[in-house]
Amino acid sequence: MRLTAKDKWILTIFSAAAGFVNGFLGGGGGVIVVALLLAVMKLHQKSAQATALLAVLPLSAVSAAVYIVKGSVQWAPALWTTLGVVAGGILGALLLDKLKGNVVKLIYALVLIAGGIKMLL
Amino acid sequence: MEIFLYILFGFISGVIGGMGMGGGTLLTPLLSFTRLPQRAVQAVNLVSFLPMCATALIFHARHGLVEKAHILWIVLPAVAFAAVGAWVAVGASDGVLRCIYALFLLGVGMWQLVRVLSADSEKKEAVRPR
Repeated sequence: MRLTAKDKWILTIFSAAAGFVNGFLGGGGGVIVVALLLAVMKLHQKSAQATALLAVLPLSAVSAAVYIVKGSVQWAPALWTTLGVVAGGILGALLLDKLKGNVVKLIYALVLIAGGIKMLL
Repeated sequence: MEIFLYILFGFISGVIGGMGMGGGTLLTPLLSFTRLPQRAVQAVNLVSFLPMCATALIFHARHGLVEKAHILWIVLPAVAFAAVGAWVAVGASDGVLRCIYALFLLGVGMWQLVRVLSADSEKKEAVRPR
């Protein structure tokens, strides 16, 4: 597809916002990137979710580097969590091609809302 | 026990993250059930996300799901502002970070919920006999 000048502006501004959110909150930029890929680049849901990872990888690397340089990383918890995340990530990548998605999305939305309420209390 | 929680929470968010649904968004509230302070949670989230993301990308690329055209329009501004965001975060208090993250979660959660429910009702509308 060809991007119009307006598309490029939207992508630049919202991607900058996604980058800032991801760096400031240590995550969450991917959600904005998926929305951009769906709305502006008109990708299908699965393709948008997969492509978002390509966009989020370098910005997470940059954010992580800042946290590491500033000494904010506790390495033992990071190691154990990474172990779980990588194993789960492989399963998730395999499942993306097979799942219908709406039940997972519903559970995901409810967990996010519950997590937000828990963090506020 | 704490180690088990790290692995379990990592695994759950890894599954969601591997599907490209925002596992990092989920890992932060899950890790808030451990004793880690908010800034350390965010740092763990970022560090653990990198190898998962790289691994999941290989799978998705093999399945032809990754669309590389125009991706630099997203990557370049995002990377520049990710550094700024991280720089601001390491100087912010844990309470402020936690509060902002909670509001962010509520916003994203509600948005996802509305999307899922409206997609469901559209589907029902489409199959209803006329």
